Amino acid sequence: MKDLARLRTSVKESVELALNQQIQMEMISSSKYLAMAGWCDRNGLDYSAGFFYKQSEEERKHGMKLFHYLCDQGGTAYSPEIPAVSQEFDSLRSVFEGALDQEIAVSDSINRIIGICRRENDYATEELLKWYVREQVEEEYIARRCLELIDQIPADQVYYLDKKLASVTYDGNPFE
Amino acid sequence: MTSNVPVTYQEVFRTDRGVVYQCDASNRLILEFWDTHTQLSARDFAQFRRMVETVDIRQMALSTAAEHDVEILTPPRSERCYVLTLCEVVHLRELLTGAKLMLELNAMLRECGCTLSE
Ligand SMILES: [Fe+2]
Ligand SMILES: [Fe+2]
Repeated sequence: MKDLARLRTSVKESVELALNQQIQMEMISSSKYLAMAGWCDRNGLDYSAGFFYKQSEEERKHGMKLFHYLCDQGGTAYSPEIPAVSQEFDSLRSVFEGALDQEIAVSDSINRIIGICRRENDYATEELLKWYVREQVEEEYIARRCLELIDQIPADQVYYLDKKLASVTYDGNPFE
Repeated sequence: MTSNVPVTYQEVFRTDRGVVYQCDASNRLILEFWDTHTQLSARDFAQFRRMVETVDIRQMALSTAAEHDVEILTPPRSERCYVLTLCEVVHLRELLTGAKLMLELNAMLRECGCTLSE
């Protein structure tokens, strides 16, 4: 008897489901970062706004990468539902705390999906997800570094802090 | 097996309410449930199974509202529309889940070079 599902796609149903959840998560990240960008923008924090606008675009690309992968492999990718995200924040610190929380949740999710890939012997998807593992190391680093700067730079130097936050990069990234 | 089943149909799973066949000639899965007969691609079959799996049978059981008495499900790309009572949802679930397991077994056997008996 033919294996009809395998003829159609290399991606098993459990992996397809997990990747669709990840697509949704990346798109939700994108939406959250856009809300953060808007908040920074209307509070005069132009550099941080720019940082989050860019992050928002990046997250959408992360989602699209998975979307195309699923389609190319014969799987079904679903355009995800995006629930409402918070638009208001107490402070710049709480914005960056929200960003770090989101990145940690994404890292955990990627790790969980790699576990599924291993269970299903799906090494191709695992290989793709390794890119996300490296990406998350960088994203978590940057969010943590920003929170450090918020602690280190006196609260009255808002312009300097804003500018500094937007310039954080991960220079010593061991994966690069 | 009843005699009017086409020779290309292989039985995947059977309960006393229905049968799932696979036809290797047309690459279709055939769902026989009560007296209905629906041909589905592997993708649509999986999607329909998920639709049946995600029916809120708790709500069907507990709610007194008329709209929760039956569940209306349309398999993708199909003319058919199933109007199912709680019991029928459970029976259909049993059939589709059993078929899923047999298809997975077939996939595992094929991966190690074996096959379910033709
Ligand atoms: Fe991401
Ligand atoms: Fe991210």
